[in-house]
Amino acid sequence: MELTAEPQIAPPKSKTSSELKKRIWKNKLLYVMAIPGILFFILFKYVPMYGLVISLQDFKPYEGISGSDWVGFEHFKRLFTEPEFLNILTNTLILFGMNLIFFFPIPIILALMLNEVRIAIFKRLVQTLVYIPHFMSWVIIVSISYVMLTMDGGIINELIAKFGGEKVNFLLSPEWFRPMYIVQVIWREAGWGTIIYLAAIAAIDPGLYEAARIDGAGRFRQIWHITLPAIRSVIIVLLILKIGDVLELGFEHVYLLLNSMNRGVGEIIDTYVYTAGLQQGQFSYSTAIGFFKSFIGLILVMAANWLAKRMGEEGVY
Amino acid sequence: MKKKKSMLMLLSAMMIVTLGLSACSGNNGGNNEPSPAASNAGASEKPSEAPPEEEEPTEITIMLPLNIAETPPDTIKTELEKLTNTKLTYQFFPADTYEEKLNASFATGALPQVTYLKNQATFIRFKEAIRDNQFWEIGPYLGEFENLSKMKESILNNTKVDGKLYSLYIGRPLARQGLIYRKDWADNLGLSAPQTTEDLFAMAKAFTEDDPDKDGNDNTVGLADRNDLIYGAFKTLSSFFGTPNNFGVKDGQILPEFMFPEYIETMDYMKSLRDAGYMNQDFAATSKTDQVNLFQSGEAGLYIGSMQDVNSLYNNLVKNVPTAEVATHNKIVKPGGTFGIWAIPGYNNVVLFPKSAIKDEAELKKILAFFDKMMTPEVANLMYWGIEGTHYSVVEGQAKASDDSDKVEREVKGYKDSVIGEPETNGQLQGFHDLQARIDAEKFIIENEAAAIHDPTAPLDSVTFTEQGQELQKIITDATYQYMYGQLDKAGFEKAVETWKERGGQKIIDEFTAAYNASK
Repeated sequence: MELTAEPQIAPPKSKTSSELKKRIWKNKLLYVMAIPGILFFILFKYVPMYGLVISLQDFKPYEGISGSDWVGFEHFKRLFTEPEFLNILTNTLILFGMNLIFFFPIPIILALMLNEVRIAIFKRLVQTLVYIPHFMSWVIIVSISYVMLTMDGGIINELIAKFGGEKVNFLLSPEWFRPMYIVQVIWREAGWGTIIYLAAIAAIDPGLYEAARIDGAGRFRQIWHITLPAIRSVIIVLLILKIGDVLELGFEHVYLLLNSMNRGVGEIIDTYVYTAGLQQGQFSYSTAIGFFKSFIGLILVMAANWLAKRMGEEGVY
Repeated sequence: MKKKKSMLMLLSAMMIVTLGLSACSGNNGGNNEPSPAASNAGASEKPSEAPPEEEEPTEITIMLPLNIAETPPDTIKTELEKLTNTKLTYQFFPADTYEEKLNASFATGALPQVTYLKNQATFIRFKEAIRDNQFWEIGPYLGEFENLSKMKESILNNTKVDGKLYSLYIGRPLARQGLIYRKDWADNLGLSAPQTTEDLFAMAKAFTEDDPDKDGNDNTVGLADRNDLIYGAFKTLSSFFGTPNNFGVKDGQILPEFMFPEYIETMDYMKSLRDAGYMNQDFAATSKTDQVNLFQSGEAGLYIGSMQDVNSLYNNLVKNVPTAEVATHNKIVKPGGTFGIWAIPGYNNVVLFPKSAIKDEAELKKILAFFDKMMTPEVANLMYWGIEGTHYSVVEGQAKASDDSDKVEREVKGYKDSVIGEPETNGQLQGFHDLQARIDAEKFIIENEAAAIHDPTAPLDSVTFTEQGQELQKIITDATYQYMYGQLDKAGFEKAVETWKERGGQKIIDEFTAAYNASK
């Protein structure tokens, strides 16, 4: 049947469309498998986007979207003129930058190191130990840090005092907020992050290494010339995705670390949305902020993707 | 080979994409979907068999905050249904995130027939919605109910919105704040109960430096405080210094407490306590649990807050330090000052009746009838104390809670916090206490009433305060902590007050002042 359709003379446009149909038919199972995923995105990602319109309204919950008054860009205006806004944006971007610089390379390094370990049992042990923290919730991580860092008998401060140092107010000083944040992120996520890199490394053709060894390449040479180039595209993809998460710095984590003393450097867009939106019930305003945040995220992803393509990589789309 | 590799690469990339995306969806703080934790409904949904009665039991769904970790079992509910001829569905939500849940349910029109708020601050925020006619006005119906009409007029007035009553209140003593301290330590050091703020300071110093537990180690500290300027030590201390309660009247103007010099004095006092090391250094990041632990482990010797906390503090303290003794105390003044203590407006929470869930007057009356029954001794005792013989026993006409405090807390506490009115009006038994410190505390609480510092704005209204008050307060809260930690000086604090004024504080002052003058 398909074959009989083929030789028909048709304008090029309909030809391509029939070709498309054919291809879909050929891969029908793949498309069927994709249906749940597509449904998921429609239901949980696209339909809720309708709610974004409340950022242009003076949304009153009991009136609903249809009953609330339209106010145009009022909430965005308020956001951009809010004295705190610049501060919050800067905090968000700084934390993001730190995430990228200090956290992002660590799983790669860790994966390279694990890959070089010869004793399998030791490798597996280390691997398990470094990912365990990922399964602890932020509440636990932050509480453990609190217990260790408090000035009222926390082990770290006790040690500092024992060696004659001045106790450091880790929990309540603005200077320590960012280091504390990033160390906790590394502690919890670094091990988990290695999984993907290890998988990518495992896929490298061992023949390449053999050849390199015959040519007299040492371990570092092998890493530099074989392992890293081989996982380069995975790194780039992860980097782009990471950039898309710019403003996803872990609401829960930051919220738990915040207090009156470090709010100046610690308040990020997510926590601000939470206090303004959910706690104080300013739905429209917080939607506007969330909208703005996603918008920045989109721009950054596109920029990163463009950059990746210019550098001859594949990018994510 | 090559092909296989790139396929693998593609697969892993796809996996990453889905991982990344699902991670994104988990953290969308910005949208209004209720979080999974918030949408899990109360566990006590199983209706119990009501005995066959002539009248159909009224079905009522109730949403309320829960101050303990576990949802209570149906023990009390079953009895309650029998007594009131109802079929109740209790939706308990953790108190910590209750406001979030309230806002989300409200936004989606999902509030049940009976909605408890969380505290006065939530109530203030709901005023806008109340004015928008989202809740039943119940004032006109109260007279029809014998017991409901007993509720205290003065407190009802404090809960009115534009002169109309929409809510029933959960009554609480006006001022429960005071000092709880280690009596055995004070005796060891020859100290008596502090009379002035200076005595208190000296006590904190001695508790820190003079080895009050006589174990030869420097392992004690004076005051244990937490990250709460209101229910922690700060506000009570500020009363000792004579600071007004939230707002005060000065030169015919209503001004916020932090524009009074006494507020600064209090900050200075706390600052010197902290600088000298006579209190926990990290109090701005200390949770109530950690604060309580400091006291209960025998490390700290002073606790300023609700004096009624003394029972649980003592019970847990003696587990660690069997020889410990505690005492309560209230009258502390700054040298030359007169005693005053901040007071709440007589209630700590209210119940609202959403129109979205209650369709007509008849239904409302049936629900009010349930609350009317709650104001009878039989029902009030059941909800407040539990089942006689199981959770409490009557000693000298007072209720003595059972020794199995875990059981009582688990089974009764959830209902206890929802009883409307107060013992004088709902006839519930007064508590029987054998701990001297608690008996004193109850006496002090009555004394406190005479010295109560009231918030002059409680019956007044300011639109700006309703809308922005909380957000603006954050500026002051942060500045207060920063001042106490030495990051801001007096000029810096005053600058924060200026910021507060600029961003809407001035409007609050003007609106309250106008309302105050109009009410005179």
